[in-house]
Amino acid sequence: MAGLADHSLVQAADAVRSGEATSVDLLHACWANLDAVNPQLNAVIWQEREQAEAAARAADAAVRGGQRGTLLGVPMAHKDMYYQAGKRSTCGSALRRDFRPTVAATVIERLAAAGAYTFAGLNMAEFAQNPTGHNKTFGDCHNPWNLPYITGGSSSGSGASLAARFNYMALGSDTGGSVRLPASACGVTGLKPTQTRVSRHGVMPLSFSHDNVGPLARTARDCARVLTVIAGHDPRDPTSSHEPVPDYESFLDGDLRGLRIGVPVNYFLDGADQPIGAAMDAALQVLAGRGAVVSRFELPLMDAVAAYGGIVSRVEASTIHADWMRADPQAYAAHISARLYAGYAIPATYYVESLSRRGPILRAFAAEVFGKVDVLVTPTIRTCLPTLAETDIDHGPPGTEHRFMAVSANTRPFNYLGLPAISVPCGFDPNGLPIGLQVAGRPFGEGRILRVADAYQADTGWHRARPAILDGVKGRA
Amino acid sequence: MGVFETSFESTIARWHGITPPNDPAKRLAAELADTIAAFEALRGTLAFEDEPSSFEAALQATKDTA
Repeated sequence: MAGLADHSLVQAADAVRSGEATSVDLLHACWANLDAVNPQLNAVIWQEREQAEAAARAADAAVRGGQRGTLLGVPMAHKDMYYQAGKRSTCGSALRRDFRPTVAATVIERLAAAGAYTFAGLNMAEFAQNPTGHNKTFGDCHNPWNLPYITGGSSSGSGASLAARFNYMALGSDTGGSVRLPASACGVTGLKPTQTRVSRHGVMPLSFSHDNVGPLARTARDCARVLTVIAGHDPRDPTSSHEPVPDYESFLDGDLRGLRIGVPVNYFLDGADQPIGAAMDAALQVLAGRGAVVSRFELPLMDAVAAYGGIVSRVEASTIHADWMRADPQAYAAHISARLYAGYAIPATYYVESLSRRGPILRAFAAEVFGKVDVLVTPTIRTCLPTLAETDIDHGPPGTEHRFMAVSANTRPFNYLGLPAISVPCGFDPNGLPIGLQVAGRPFGEGRILRVADAYQADTGWHRARPAILDGVKGRA
Repeated sequence: MGVFETSFESTIARWHGITPPNDPAKRLAAELADTIAAFEALRGTLAFEDEPSSFEAALQATKDTA
């Protein structure tokens, strides 16, 4: 039954503002679906129902008092790595099962200032380090569309909670695709902003050169609203950009006339499964129907991007985890400690080479590519989704790691390049699992890629599809 | 176990005090041979710039201005 929980973030915020629904109504609608299906999905690590109910009632009182905020009264749950002072933040790991940070994440504070509140912590890959959703400590997260299959990771609970309609927006983190992959695999929308666009203060670090904070939600418009709230310089994160923050919703005019779309003929479709390529081609036709012009060409420098990008994220993650890897390596899942271990053998000269060439490579890439086109379009994941068993390095045969790593092949390059990229649902594979379309743009070009994604969603209904697991769940209409 | 694997295991142990935590760790570390090959292939294809370069400056220089 469709109801309040099927609202997008923007619809939910509008419902509270107009009086169509209260914040308490929204929260209870989320809980109805959560109680019904989370036991099968395992998307939630912790809940704070009393505090959430109090926050909802306070939001409703604020509405009655005439307050307005772009997210006023909207309940949210985030990947469990966004710090709230004094509250548990597990980071998906036994090593932080009882970790209580003393600081609050800037993004959580900015969402709260806009009127939103947090009601749960979501499952995630251990320390945000897998693209699948496996978790040794809190249990694997399951895909709402087909339970044996991966949710994508590392923001696994973020994707699953949105697809299963018990959340309106979830922050994810994206170091190699961890926002876009679960968005793609779960049939929701996920935005990785430009590197430096959003503050990372109070967010668990993994790779400080590649880490990004980004929203997962039902629609591109939802992501635009959230980005407008969370983007912008933060004195507590000196690496955050001073670039002015526009109202990203103002870009969503549906006008794609003359937009130049580039489709890479190298790298991104290597080994792609037929249903994935077919879904992308169909999506391109939709965009062309709005006046976009599609061209296909070879992207430059992809070998360098792949080689250097892998070095940066591995070395930085291994460095952060060195003390725990010495003291308690068995506390990690095998696939996590295995990936960290390899990072210690990489020479410093490789790391410095990889970092020092990042800027020149971006300049060369942008000059050649964005001289021809305005945005790039690729599949978010180039193969049909694997099952959790097929990507279980801890218990699978040698070679399992190759299927595991293939999941993030199409998202990682944009982390090294620092470019913004969004994933939107564009179809289903033969196993009934969502397919994602990735749109990437120039630095600080979030407005443009959001416009493309929003125009596509205006002409298609993939983002409105709801998984059968919700059939028969009695929610609040 | 080959010379390459033995070499990096002893290097990691000496430099970091960390030993292979499991078999997948040994397998993934052995794949660093692919990383070395990738770097070998890139040698001579990209020159270091004489002037200091900054990734943040490159983001600004290439940003979307529309």
